[in-house]
Amino acid sequence: MSDMEDQDKMEAPVQDSNKQKDRFMTFKCGDEYYGIAISYVEEITTIQSITEVPQMEPFVKGLINLRGKIVPVIDVRIRFGKEPIPYNDRTCIMILKVKDTLIGLIIDTISEVVNIPAEEIVSPPKGEKGNGADRFVYGIGKVDGQVKLLIKPETLIFDSPEEESEEEICE
Amino acid sequence: MAEDYITDGMLETFLYESSQLLEKLQELVLENQDEDYFDDGAINEIFRIMHTIKGSSGIMMYDNITKATHRLEDVFFCLRESHPPVDHEKLCELVLEVGDFVTGQLDKIQEGGEPDGDEKPIVEKVSDFLTKIKENIAGKSDKAAVKAGEILLAPPVPEVDEESASSDEPQKYYIAPVATSDSKFYHIKITYCQDTLMSNIRAYTAVFSLKEIAEDLMYIPEDIITNESSHDVIMKDGFAIALQCKESKEKVIELIDHLAGVEKIDINEVDSNEFLAGFVPEEVIEQREAEAQVPQEEKENYVIEKPKAVKKPAKAAPKDLQSYISVNIKKMDVLMDLIGELVIAEAVVLQNPDLKVPGLELANFNKAAAQLTKITGDLQDGIMRIRMIPLANTFQKMKRIVYDTSHKLGKDIELEMIGEETEVDKNIIEHISDPIMHLIRNSVDHGIEEKEDRIKNHKPEKGKITIEAKNDGDKVCIIVSDDGKGLNPDALLDKAEKNGLLTKAREAYTEKEAFNLITLPGFSTKEQVTELSGRGVGMDVVVKNIQEINGTLEIDSVQGHGSTMTIKIPLTLAIIKGIVMKVASTTFVVSTNSVKEFLQLREQTLHKQPDGGEFIMIRGDSYPVIRLKERFGMKDTPDSENAILAFIEHEDKHACILVDELLGEQEIVIKALPDYMKKVKGISGCTQLGDGSIGLIIDPGVII
Repeated sequence: MSDMEDQDKMEAPVQDSNKQKDRFMTFKCGDEYYGIAISYVEEITTIQSITEVPQMEPFVKGLINLRGKIVPVIDVRIRFGKEPIPYNDRTCIMILKVKDTLIGLIIDTISEVVNIPAEEIVSPPKGEKGNGADRFVYGIGKVDGQVKLLIKPETLIFDSPEEESEEEICE
Repeated sequence: MAEDYITDGMLETFLYESSQLLEKLQELVLENQDEDYFDDGAINEIFRIMHTIKGSSGIMMYDNITKATHRLEDVFFCLRESHPPVDHEKLCELVLEVGDFVTGQLDKIQEGGEPDGDEKPIVEKVSDFLTKIKENIAGKSDKAAVKAGEILLAPPVPEVDEESASSDEPQKYYIAPVATSDSKFYHIKITYCQDTLMSNIRAYTAVFSLKEIAEDLMYIPEDIITNESSHDVIMKDGFAIALQCKESKEKVIELIDHLAGVEKIDINEVDSNEFLAGFVPEEVIEQREAEAQVPQEEKENYVIEKPKAVKKPAKAAPKDLQSYISVNIKKMDVLMDLIGELVIAEAVVLQNPDLKVPGLELANFNKAAAQLTKITGDLQDGIMRIRMIPLANTFQKMKRIVYDTSHKLGKDIELEMIGEETEVDKNIIEHISDPIMHLIRNSVDHGIEEKEDRIKNHKPEKGKITIEAKNDGDKVCIIVSDDGKGLNPDALLDKAEKNGLLTKAREAYTEKEAFNLITLPGFSTKEQVTELSGRGVGMDVVVKNIQEINGTLEIDSVQGHGSTMTIKIPLTLAIIKGIVMKVASTTFVVSTNSVKEFLQLREQTLHKQPDGGEFIMIRGDSYPVIRLKERFGMKDTPDSENAILAFIEHEDKHACILVDELLGEQEIVIKALPDYMKKVKGISGCTQLGDGSIGLIIDPGVII
């Protein structure tokens, strides 16, 4: 048991829950900024060669080799139903650990770590259907007049694609 | 209360140590089962094992284990003291039963449950046995009977929490610092082996053992239970005890000598003044130095040197002298990954484009590079070897199986083991144990004849089963053979015919094919279903299990002389040789074993069937062509200039797969696809290639 803890420490040195509270890693995808609670984030790497795996959902781009670990990556743009754009040198892979699964998110540009206290987070608008991506957003964070869409990685990663198939790709 | 100081570490140590002891116990019993009695060494050893487990389970508050082992310990104490005549067979069974009981409880604890097994039946059994021995002794010698009686009357091991010291019952064990005229005073110093874990707990065990006789007892360091760092102190300075009791020095030594991990015990008799003065560490150190010079002559000092490998003393075979550590497999996997990374990083450096600049003087670089390559290669080899473990443990288990089943069936069978030091990958060991067990059971049940039949056939009365392991190239052979009645091909064919299992004319079956019939599902040759085997599931499951690890089973038999089952398995599952191929932008790998040949597409003609399926003629036979792009629904690109047909074979099926480019052959480390990826039909895993990219491993069985 203790080894697992060691390992965790090795990979995520700032595992102090107090320090991580209210902190979000923000990134840009299309025109909007999104945020993911920093406790999920393992590391960020530049885009690297991705091995395509057949018969996957379109947003599952394939596998990358993260220092010997084989990690699946998904393209957030495609997941959000946006047009894919070619990867460039600003494209990043954000490695998350969600429910003990390592997974990489391909994002347009990484932004910064911001502090969003709970009172600065409001619920997203209800009722109107947006571009199909709104169900990933659980809250809207306000930082210096800017707006960050806060995402629950669990829905982003694990929600079965069947549910969304009608709504997806309508932009 | 006790729970406060029971930590996970303690539990782990307890489980590990106890299971080691139980293994040793089983080994001892099985070694001696054919004798008529346990020799002194074995009796002492079993006594010690029981005593240690009793003590440590007492500390851990596992009452039922304590009680069961305590009672068996009584039996062996009695045997040791008075050597009464006993029913050896019954005793063996009894010891194994207690061992199984404790093992069962340990398993429960390991799984996080409470060891709630009821010890009463087994304790009763042992008690009955003990009573019988006692009766025997009573006839033999009164004195011994009194001794045995004493030990019987001894109350169960007291609870070990300090608070209950003040409560009623255990009080008699606790410190009564009234020195009577025949009290003796000792200074004891226990030194533990270098690699001892949790020496503070062991020290507590020693204190615990001594409390039974102590009138007064002090020890340093004092906070052994509450303070884990006392472990370091004990390891460095030893564990010092001041003891006042009536017992002789020998008796005191006996009490603490057998405890696990004890390397050396220094015991000094002192007078009461010195005793009250407490510990004088310098003195002890001086004495120890003095002993080092004249170890034997020292009058008042007893020095007991114990062999280093305390857990496997006495008859320790040479291999036991090696020291082992147990490592969490996760740590090893991390190491494996790091090595993989290292190899790739190495390739990146050594094949760096910067080195390709013309006119560079690289002689020294190349020399250094060659050295680096060698070291990383060795390192990779070494890591792989760590995962290899000998088959000895698995074979030991078989001994038990033979013992159990042959007893149940009333057959007299010996098991010979050859080559149990042969090593195979840990994953494989886990898969191989069940099939071997099945084969052994079959041999005991179906193979070896009843005693009368054996005598009629001029065979030795005692049946013999041999289990042998050996290396054969990159495979390991495990051979289970018996000298029983062998397989009768005619009987097998009859049976198969009756069950409608024949697929061709009866006459067309060769002897070997007839033997292989027993591996078909729903085939059982034994007329009567027994408790052990003969349910008609068995051999087919064996074969399936073996095939799962890419192994094969060969059956050979001479009627009347016995049969031989040979399991051939790969050395390791983790590494295979694979052909690396490219299809569009994805790299695929196929195990080299399944690729028979390559054909260049442009030299071949593909024929199209009306339904669109393509095939190819090779040496007069037709074979289907599989386009991986189509099969996996990948983007269709025109056939490349270098397109290759790989002719693959799986069992009896053949096919050609069409790939764009052949990249080469390489040893690959198989990894599972991440769980997140849904299972892709035809892909059994993935691997990291030399350049750091990832290849997908094709499962030929599914593709064809």
